[in-house]
Amino acid sequence: MGVTCVSQMPVAEGKSVQQTVELLTRKLEMLGAEKQGTFCVDCETYHTAASTLGSQGQAGKLMYVMHNSEYPLSCFALFENGPCLAADTNFDVLMVKLKGFFQSAKASKIETRGTRYQYCDFLVKVGTVTMGPSARGISVEVEYGPCVVASDCWSLLLEFLQSFLGSHTPGAPAVFGNRHDAVYSPADTMVQYMELFNKIRKQQQVPVAGIR
Amino acid sequence: MSGVRAVRISIESACEKQVQEVGLDGTETYLQPLSMSQNLARLAQRIDFSQGSGSEEEEAAGADGDAQDWAGAGSSADQDDEEGLVKFQPSLWPWDSVRNNLRSALTEMCVLYDVLSIVRDKKFMTLDPVSQDALPPKQNPQTLQLISKKKSLAGAAQILLKGAERLAKSVTENQENKLQRDFNSELLRLRQHWKLRKVGDKILGDLSYRSAGSLFPHHGTFEVIKNTDIDLDKKIPEDYCPLDVQIPSDLEGSAYIKVSIQKQAPDIGDLGTVNLFKRPLPKSKPGSPHWQTKLEAAQNVLLCKEIFAQLSREAVQIKSQIPHIVVKNQIISQPFPSLQLSISLCHSSNDKKSQKSATEKQSPEDHLYVLEHNLHLLIREFHKQTLSSIMMPHPASAPFGHKRMRLSGPQAFDKNEINSIQSSEGLLEKIIKQAKHIFLRSRTAATIDSLASRIEDPQIQAHWSNINDVYESSVKVLITSQGYEQICKSIQLQLNIGVEQIRVVHRDGRVITLSHQEQELQDFLLSQMSQHQVHAVQQLAKVMGWQVLSFSNHVGLGPIESIGNASAITVASPNGDYAISVRNGPESGSKIMVQFPRNQCKDIPKSDVLQDSKWNHLRGPFKEVQWNKMEGRNFVYKMELLMSALSPCLL
Repeated sequence: MGVTCVSQMPVAEGKSVQQTVELLTRKLEMLGAEKQGTFCVDCETYHTAASTLGSQGQAGKLMYVMHNSEYPLSCFALFENGPCLAADTNFDVLMVKLKGFFQSAKASKIETRGTRYQYCDFLVKVGTVTMGPSARGISVEVEYGPCVVASDCWSLLLEFLQSFLGSHTPGAPAVFGNRHDAVYSPADTMVQYMELFNKIRKQQQVPVAGIR
Repeated sequence: MSGVRAVRISIESACEKQVQEVGLDGTETYLQPLSMSQNLARLAQRIDFSQGSGSEEEEAAGADGDAQDWAGAGSSADQDDEEGLVKFQPSLWPWDSVRNNLRSALTEMCVLYDVLSIVRDKKFMTLDPVSQDALPPKQNPQTLQLISKKKSLAGAAQILLKGAERLAKSVTENQENKLQRDFNSELLRLRQHWKLRKVGDKILGDLSYRSAGSLFPHHGTFEVIKNTDIDLDKKIPEDYCPLDVQIPSDLEGSAYIKVSIQKQAPDIGDLGTVNLFKRPLPKSKPGSPHWQTKLEAAQNVLLCKEIFAQLSREAVQIKSQIPHIVVKNQIISQPFPSLQLSISLCHSSNDKKSQKSATEKQSPEDHLYVLEHNLHLLIREFHKQTLSSIMMPHPASAPFGHKRMRLSGPQAFDKNEINSIQSSEGLLEKIIKQAKHIFLRSRTAATIDSLASRIEDPQIQAHWSNINDVYESSVKVLITSQGYEQICKSIQLQLNIGVEQIRVVHRDGRVITLSHQEQELQDFLLSQMSQHQVHAVQQLAKVMGWQVLSFSNHVGLGPIESIGNASAITVASPNGDYAISVRNGPESGSKIMVQFPRNQCKDIPKSDVLQDSKWNHLRGPFKEVQWNKMEGRNFVYKMELLMSALSPCLL
């Protein structure tokens, strides 16, 4: 368990998502990173059912239920800017029971899949973000294992990110600033993924809506 | 005649008993009255038969008097009176009865007279002295007394016998009751330590570790027997216990797991014939009853069997480069090349035969008790694991498995953490790892010790840590010179001995990994020792005020060492006149050269270039020091002497 930074890698000009991913992974392999299987993070959106909404007409909050192959026995449920719940995988069954309160948004499933690389203490995951059948973007996750305090190792992470992302190195994730000197938890990773997915969804939604 | 005599009749009181004596206090002692026969005898003695028969009258009077006497005190004075009257008036009718009586008395007297007269002649009749007849009546009461005494004694004896019988009965009953009570109290005590249940009229107990999480299929039941039918008359043996237990025959005796490491593989013919040398049964604790020790021994046998069964199952299942061999009661594995670990189940029953053979074939003690103990620990851990996985209470929504597994979801454990929880290393793998570690540790210790005893000059000290893990232990190795411990502290090695390899952490942070081969460690230590000497010179130079001109741990010049590299140092004296150069190799040993000032060397040919006298202060050629001829107990001391000899006298 370490500190993780999740960022988005823009698709290189004149190249497909697949090609960009290949470019990145080749760079990593050149660095000497070791391939260690695959990874998968998925996210499903639920909105609160109309019947349970208050009479004041408040807008229903969105809830995201996520899974991460890094935490195979866990299931995460998050609200935007809200609390994050880590539960065991039986939570999915519970969500089915809670149909009356939370309804699954149709075709909202978004996930990222890719290869997991180990480079000394760093764990790098480069994945393709897909929503339905189409690839929408590239996610890059870097985890530094030996440290649990984000502020202590951010510069190290940044330096490492720069080594293979080059100019696309992201800024410090928002979750790092939330709690200064606090122990980093897996939920923070999921929050970053949620934000990433939301960003990608919004980016893509505009043109999609235009087409419709 | 009676009419003439005025008869005065004295009336005596009817004192039946004659007074024999009157005591001073007035008490009278009586004589016993004579009985009838005694009286007669007395009277008869009085008769003077020698007198001839007198007149009738006399005779009658005598008879009368006799009769009077004979009648005793019972006849009253009236009778005398009447007698007189009868004689006086014979025809008086009212006295007829008296007359008749008298007549009959007379008749009888006549008969008596006749008899007596006949007796007197002693022809037809004789009289025995009457006094002799008095004896039988005297004896009679004695016999009677005897008989009655006998009878009463018999009665008393009978009562006593009856009582005794009753007592004996009650005593035996008591004893039986006591035995019964003892059995119950023993059963209660047994119940406190062992699981018991009643099946039919039997009491069965449970020896198995099933309740502790064991999955061994042996039923492990024992039977509780009441042991009350002993002979009460005989002395009860001291270790008698009314409760006895019967354990299954295959759990009898004593058993243990023998773990040993042998250097070379034995012949295949020897496999599976591990000597069952018997260990003395553990002495029962003074307070505990004998069934406790019996049951504990049986339970131990059961546990040993379970351990062995588990190990042999794993030995067959686990695929390893060199397959584990399971033969009879032995499991053989090869942790390192030419080294074999054998784990065997030694079970000796109590019969004489096996004991005898055991004492004959006492095997050498290569038993690793630590590993045996650890095997027991491991199986218990295994039990605990199976127990905790099914342990209730358990959240209804959570998946089955032990608690950490259950928490791994909500606590978002990552893959590595989950893997560490799920480590499904078997008993055999663990014990082999432990055996490897133990072997590696002992071999390291032996290597260090042999080096320390072989090489004296740089001294090796090994500080073993007391507390270590089953898979890792550490030792701190210091290389010092005697007498210079304070200044020569450069070589401090921390050896972390693992399962397969030894990690050496140098003082400066270098980490070197050595394999299990002892030669590697030995070579490494030798090269460190040689470096130590050069380091020591450097330290000494600092203390002595000499200047270090050059220093190298690994010299690239000179003869090549087979182990490591030679190291070298050159130091110059404080005023710069002299220089000492030391080269020390692990194999070639040390070579010490001294450089003299040019002006002290006579054999140097005058150079054409160095004409000026100032060049004489340049140092000249090196000369080797015959180091073994130097005085001093060790290298550093010799070096100190050399340095001080070459230093200028400051005074």
